[in-house]
Amino acid sequence: MATRFRKPLSLARREALAGYAFIVPWLIGFLVFTVGPMLASLYYSFTDFNIIDPPRWVGLDNYIRVFSGIPEYLMTGDPRQLGDPLFWKSLQVTLYFAALALPLNLLFSFILAVLLNQKVPGVNIWRTIFFLPSIIAGVAVALLWVRILNPKIGILNVFLQDVVGIARPPGWLQDPNWAVPALVIMSLWGVGGSMIIYLAGLQGISTELYDAAKVDGANAWHRFWAVTLPMMTPVLFYNLVLGTIGTFQYFTEVYVATSGTGDPQRATLFYNLYLYQNAFRYFDMGYASTMAWILFVIVLTLTALIFRSSDAWVFYEGQLRGK
Amino acid sequence: MRPTSVRVLALSLALGLIVSACGGAPTAAPADTPAPDTPTQAPANTEAPASSGEVAKVVIFVGFGTGTDPDQVAAQEALAQRFNESHTDIQMEFLIVPNEEATERYLAMVAGGNAPQLVGPHGTSTIAKFLDQWEDVTPYIQRDNYDLSDFYGPATTINKYPELDAGLPLGLYPSFIFYNKDAFDAAGLEYPPSDYGDTSWNIEKLREVAIQLTLDENDLTPLDAGFDPATIKQWGYADTWTDMRGQMTMFGAPTQGRPTSDDQKMALATSAEWLFGAQWLHDGIFVDHFIPDSAGQSAIDADTGDPFGGGHVAIWYSHTWYMSEGLNELPFKYNIAPLFFNQKGERISRIHADLFTMPKTAANKDAAWEVMKWLVAPEQIVDVCKIYGCLPARKSSQAAYLAYMQERFPGLDYDVIFTAIDYLDSPHHESWVPEWGKVNDALNNAMSTLYTDATADPAVVLDTANQDLQKILDEYWAGQ
Repeated sequence: MATRFRKPLSLARREALAGYAFIVPWLIGFLVFTVGPMLASLYYSFTDFNIIDPPRWVGLDNYIRVFSGIPEYLMTGDPRQLGDPLFWKSLQVTLYFAALALPLNLLFSFILAVLLNQKVPGVNIWRTIFFLPSIIAGVAVALLWVRILNPKIGILNVFLQDVVGIARPPGWLQDPNWAVPALVIMSLWGVGGSMIIYLAGLQGISTELYDAAKVDGANAWHRFWAVTLPMMTPVLFYNLVLGTIGTFQYFTEVYVATSGTGDPQRATLFYNLYLYQNAFRYFDMGYASTMAWILFVIVLTLTALIFRSSDAWVFYEGQLRGK
Repeated sequence: MRPTSVRVLALSLALGLIVSACGGAPTAAPADTPAPDTPTQAPANTEAPASSGEVAKVVIFVGFGTGTDPDQVAAQEALAQRFNESHTDIQMEFLIVPNEEATERYLAMVAGGNAPQLVGPHGTSTIAKFLDQWEDVTPYIQRDNYDLSDFYGPATTINKYPELDAGLPLGLYPSFIFYNKDAFDAAGLEYPPSDYGDTSWNIEKLREVAIQLTLDENDLTPLDAGFDPATIKQWGYADTWTDMRGQMTMFGAPTQGRPTSDDQKMALATSAEWLFGAQWLHDGIFVDHFIPDSAGQSAIDADTGDPFGGGHVAIWYSHTWYMSEGLNELPFKYNIAPLFFNQKGERISRIHADLFTMPKTAANKDAAWEVMKWLVAPEQIVDVCKIYGCLPARKSSQAAYLAYMQERFPGLDYDVIFTAIDYLDSPHHESWVPEWGKVNDALNNAMSTLYTDATADPAVVLDTANQDLQKILDEYWAGQ
């Protein structure tokens, strides 16, 4: 019997196969643990579902519940006319938080990065100090800040009273008007992550650009405004996209800080907290899945808008405008 | 940085995060719990007794209520060993789950076809939340001709619905007040009476006394000039370890702590009694300052976490379960007394009642029933209640329990505890209502307003809550 030899695979083909072999574990995990649950939740969003009883197909009922009553609400101003007033309340809380936290986080981390990019003694120690808080987990941070923000015995109000001289400092997490700003302050604790990315971006800016600017007579402010800022826009863009998504996923800190209630007076009823309540407190998994998919669309739309806007304000080294 | 690579990186991360956010949505949830509507039947899955060599396993899911502290875990393991050594056909095992994970873990087990055989000990609220998920034990009681006469009457009725008897009574947690004798002595006040017939101990007297027991950082009371409510270090009274339904119970509305009509179709949160209660509460917080507001409560939580034991509250209204949590090694003298009479001259002293329940979908139900009976048998019930801090639901166990308590907390008026059972709330403040979670959250939102907003009008707050409740009820019944 004649022996048949298989033709050896080309190097490129072998490399490709090896590459696929390496990603197979991730791919399986992605399909089973991400795509699978996503598709399942899409199906559940069209059902009245509690895990104990089989899901019951209700078509668009869950979506109708979210969006019904809007004209009546606009005419009367009575939120009870809305199909689910708490859905809109939670969206409002999340948007309010995003409007405060997102720019402040971007700004604060950028300023820190600029400061820590200066040639000052012990700069590596300073960078470590400012980065360290960002590696502490969300629950621990929340517990720490609940104590710091305690209106009666928290260190922040002690400082405001005894050092700044404010007789009646805010009630922070106990005051519906200050609860979201308190969480915004809490969120600034984690700016170290963004700061490091900015720092890497700052150190990647070519010194030739600064030298050329100096030759042209630019002072420090001009160099920052005309060189540093434009060259940092790709990193700003990157942090903006991640920050937007992260803001809409805000959950752990508020869950810990309010024991999952959204108190005081539902001032901290974030979107994801309300989604969680529907799933695990009201046992309405179908509606919770609907909320998850609406969140998906909202975040996707915002991300797309940011991408679309980037042509107008993101600059890349060597890029010609309009190309 | 190249534009394409930055965009690809950002887009990949963006999609990854979005996908994980939505893919990470909870995958398990229980149903809303409609009222049980199936008639009582014979035990549905009565299995044949285990044949020789076959051992039925009974897993007891602990986590919805008490039972997760390390010393309790050890005691439960010893209890299981005691059972297992005396039984060859059934083996008992406690599954301890942290309270904050209990709902998700329990639902995952049920969803996976691996429901525990027993769940508990837990109270009325857990039964109400999963009302249609529990096995009715009436057929088992009838089959075995099980004698319920030794149980306190209320223990057999609190967790009994027209179509569901959730389990055999294990323990009761009557409520009463704990008072700091040192604080009373310092204020020159007489102690609250222990006599349930003394009608002078009423809500107005409580207010009067509690104001005098309230002290700011300069030891001034709200009656003194210069009193600063922002620096209160000791409040006169608190009942803050319960929800809105619990706090409104004492005021004596026709449906007491339940905010709905008997047919569960009408919201009743604006009854005259609830209106009085909400106004009394709000005045107590922001006018008379003898009840801690939300900020005050957060300060207590951040300090010792224990309003009474930490010396922050002089009169503390709570249940017997507080005794195992907050009465250890206190630096002051204390005693207990009956709850005061309300504005209608009635005394309604809410109660909690714990038991073990059988999930409908559990396997080995006959074995679970045997374990349930064993746990509440006269030979064990006192030991079991020692673990969980409850008053045994059997009258015959009262003396043994009393001896144990007198040794542990000497010098208290124990008649106060046993007599409180006669003043319990019915309907129960944690009993089933449609959309239990939503109704409670709507009410607790109203309570949050009462505790945080000094300018709030309690009548408006309750009216808003009532409209929210009615909407919830209407939507529920429309879907039935």
